[in-house]
Amino acid sequence: MHAPLAPTGSTDILAIANAPVLWLCVAGVFGVIVVQSLIFLRAVRRAAPSVQMTPGDIRTSFRSGAVSAIGPSLAVALVAIALLALFGAPAVLSRIGLIGSAAYDVSAAGIAAGTLGAKLGDESYTQSVFAVAFFAMSIGGAMWMIATLILTPLLRRGDAKVRAINPAAMAIVPAAALIGAFACLGFTELPKSGTHVVTFAVSASVMAVSLLLARALGKSWLREWGLGISIVAALGAALLASGS
Amino acid sequence: MTASSTALAATDQAMTEFDRTTSRWGRATMIAGLLVSVAGPLYLVFAGGLDIAPAQLWIAFAAVAATFGIIWIVEPLTYYPILGPAAMYQAFMIGNISNKLLPAALIAQTNIGAKPGTRRGQLASVVAICGAAAVHLASLAIFVGLLGSWLISVIPPAVMNVTRLYVLPAVLGAVLVQAIVSMKQPRTTVIALAVAAAVVFLVLPAVPGLAMVSTAIAVLGTVLLAWFFRGRQPAPAGRPAQPVHLE
Repeated sequence: MHAPLAPTGSTDILAIANAPVLWLCVAGVFGVIVVQSLIFLRAVRRAAPSVQMTPGDIRTSFRSGAVSAIGPSLAVALVAIALLALFGAPAVLSRIGLIGSAAYDVSAAGIAAGTLGAKLGDESYTQSVFAVAFFAMSIGGAMWMIATLILTPLLRRGDAKVRAINPAAMAIVPAAALIGAFACLGFTELPKSGTHVVTFAVSASVMAVSLLLARALGKSWLREWGLGISIVAALGAALLASGS
Repeated sequence: MTASSTALAATDQAMTEFDRTTSRWGRATMIAGLLVSVAGPLYLVFAGGLDIAPAQLWIAFAAVAATFGIIWIVEPLTYYPILGPAAMYQAFMIGNISNKLLPAALIAQTNIGAKPGTRRGQLASVVAICGAAAVHLASLAIFVGLLGSWLISVIPPAVMNVTRLYVLPAVLGAVLVQAIVSMKQPRTTVIALAVAAAVVFLVLPAVPGLAMVSTAIAVLGTVLLAWFFRGRQPAPAGRPAQPVHLE
């Protein structure tokens, strides 16, 4: 009896993206954040009296943080839902919802798929491609934590070398890297089909309008919801343009 | 005089204790979060029966590193002065720093009348981030974990297909505009758009073999040209470097 065909060629992403082990890892990440919050809250409660911070101040701070996070959290949830079909719930929850962000993780996944000669979402997007993309975005996301773990103690000591970095370089280099990366990734989508062009254009225009309105009307919620609104509008346009 | 200096000493001692606890446990929890977050993909890759060569993994990671490597280092550097050491360990694990955690911290500081940069302000932002994290975890669990999984099961396959095929341009169009607007560097923007267009529409059709490294080429080209042609930009030294909106 031959073993069943290797599942490498299968494009049923959600079959492996919802593996119980991945759900366990999501629960683990949630758990770590809860434990960290509890430890930090206790440390604050101990130190608070010495800086004239009352228990009332602590309650107010907690409530202010919680209330102000409602809008942005729902906005992130909307973006995350749009990505469920591509990555499955566990990857979306741990990558886009926490730790990373839609911009980074979608880009990293696209880049990783590209190195295998595959494209996200079409028939070349097999289970193996998903696994490699998930690997690359997670290890990439871990690099932020590694950088934080290394740099925070250095910065606390006021390390002269870190402070000596040219402020002009600190402003120009990251901006150039990010805009260059997103422009290249975005333009790479355009030759794929007319629908890709429409989707990209609608997404970019809706975001531009949201940001303009946010500034003109002083409504900062438009800035928070910009990404989610743009994605939904662009996907709507894609649905119409592709005629399905 | 003696009374106030004893009070000061007590404050210092309490805050030293706070710093020690938060950096020790901040580091420990962040390492735990890091390990758990990579455990899932490692399991899929090595135990998922998918027959993936290690070389494929390293090439994929190298391509991501070539694109985002600079940001990995720059982002913690730009956020440190705003967040302070304790909140760094929270922020880089919870994510969505610029659009959620910073506003939460600022509002909390305003509401209890604490100035940013003071110790009271620092404690307020740590507590505010805990509050924000609680709301964020709850909203993710309910709206993405439960509602989202249900949505996936009822959405017509055609819509699922369209979403899967076109979500990448749908995200990138908006993200590109957002990056351009939030960075506020017209010169860098023009250079980035020109370099990216040249790479995608001229270089790639001529040398298709470069597809794997096209983003890295665009990033490197943009960084070099933007630096070379930086001219006398309105010195960004005055304001803190614009934190990049990625995490």
